[in-house]
Amino acid sequence: MKKPRVYATEGSIWKSILLTFPMILLILLFTAGGPPDLSTPEKSIAFLTTFFFLITLFFLILYTGKTDRYRAIGFVTLALFFALTFIVNLIKARGSMTFSQENLLACEIPFCHIVTTMIIIPAVITNSIIFPGSIIGGFASIASMLVIVIGVSLALGRGFCSWGCFYGGWDDGTSRLAHKPRIKKVNPVFRWFSFAVLLVIALISAMTLNPAYCDWLCPFKTVTEFEKVTSFSILMKTIVFLSLFVALVIILPVLTGKRFQCTTLCPMGALLSLTNKINAFDVRINKENCSSCEKCVKACPTLSLTAEDMTAGRPSITCMKCGKCIDACTKSAIHYHIKGTPNNKNYSWARNLFLYPAFLLLVVFLGGTMQSGIILLINLIKTGNLIY
Amino acid sequence: MKKLLAIPAYLWAVVCLLIIPVTFIRNDTFAEQLATLSFMKVHPVYSGGELNRKYQQDSLTISVNKPVSATLLGSRKQQLQVTFSQKGHLPGIIDQTIDYDFDANPDFKVTINTASGETQLTPLVSDVRSCLASSKVKEDWVIRVNLDKK
Ligand code: SF4
Repeated sequence: MKKPRVYATEGSIWKSILLTFPMILLILLFTAGGPPDLSTPEKSIAFLTTFFFLITLFFLILYTGKTDRYRAIGFVTLALFFALTFIVNLIKARGSMTFSQENLLACEIPFCHIVTTMIIIPAVITNSIIFPGSIIGGFASIASMLVIVIGVSLALGRGFCSWGCFYGGWDDGTSRLAHKPRIKKVNPVFRWFSFAVLLVIALISAMTLNPAYCDWLCPFKTVTEFEKVTSFSILMKTIVFLSLFVALVIILPVLTGKRFQCTTLCPMGALLSLTNKINAFDVRINKENCSSCEKCVKACPTLSLTAEDMTAGRPSITCMKCGKCIDACTKSAIHYHIKGTPNNKNYSWARNLFLYPAFLLLVVFLGGTMQSGIILLINLIKTGNLIY
Repeated sequence: MKKLLAIPAYLWAVVCLLIIPVTFIRNDTFAEQLATLSFMKVHPVYSGGELNRKYQQDSLTISVNKPVSATLLGSRKQQLQVTFSQKGHLPGIIDQTIDYDFDANPDFKVTINTASGETQLTPLVSDVRSCLASSKVKEDWVIRVNLDKK
């Protein structure tokens, strides 16, 4: 059955163009940071491709009323281009994807948002940060990344995991590879695993003064940087994180259609779930329209919806606000919502007010990364060499 | 009443909408302010700790830091950082005996091949355990040594 139109922009070219216009200005501001640099053909191609790609995605989100379908295209693109540009930059700067003792001793390791989960308790107890990075200045400094974590948590809560995280696109992408997942039912209890990981990791990190998740578990070291294997213990760590990447980022998402790494292992996901409580946006079910078909339950990549959650009228706090359940619902019974406002009206307002900051977050991370990635690819085509 | 309650809700949504651009546009300013908070310093286990004493040995300047606790609770594990520097180039071989607690008794002997990075540490007292790290850092050579608390 065709879904009834619920958003003012849905099916209306003019309204969609009108609401895309502010985003065009924001995209210009955040991808070019002023007048775009069109000084070389490579830069022009990179800028224009990125610019039109982002505008098209936002327009289609408004015009079709489908959020997740187009969000996911941008989000997976972000993960791929982030890995490409990060690895190439590392190889240019250090000669390999591995970091050395020199980088560790000089406190030159880029701070990733996930480390936040491991530094909070030690910061309270020791009044310092247990991470070999730079406090300020340089690439991905601790202060700069913490400002982003605080700002995004306030504005979008766990929406970060679906709109801004430069790793999340990996299992978001692999979870879509199989048309029909082989494992159809996954026990929703798995959604609480990341909270257990958060608790254990935070305590172990505090006791050992060592960011234990980064050191031992983080599967995304596979697509960013990792320690050079110089000892048996580093070899063990390498086997652990590579195995987790294969299992949680590739195999299980393909088999289940769920974002397994983000749902079960990522401590940052658990921490951001808690911040879902303080920001303005959530997802709600309008029970009057709901036919209990449970299409949304099947669609949710993070196991955040169960029959009980539907009775409660909202997903669990683990919701990443990806919009997949909203796209899946044929009755328009599930929608973005602003806390404190009526549940059954103003769907367009709530959705649009959410879409601007959420899509802008994607723009901020994808804009620059995609341009750099395209320039690398053009040079690869021209010279046959990625690391020129 | 419900309509009245919806006003702050929409206002908070608009604030959330503004937070994202402000977070990124003013990131440097906020980061500088955040960096001034007292906890915003790298833990000595990673930074190497405070300098204890700096002295000259022939043409080599040796900086011995204060030992730092390597774990949070109750453990006897400590780490010590020693930095070797020399104007111009580092020597091919650094061969030094270090008295880290300045009690006039040597605590360990270290031999570093600065070309290959090969490092040999010989404990001369029981609280010195092993070499944790040894690497060129910018123009200097830095070693970290595992110690047991005295
Ligand atoms: S409940 Fe809906 S919006 Fe939330 S994570 Fe699941 S599919 Fe995405």
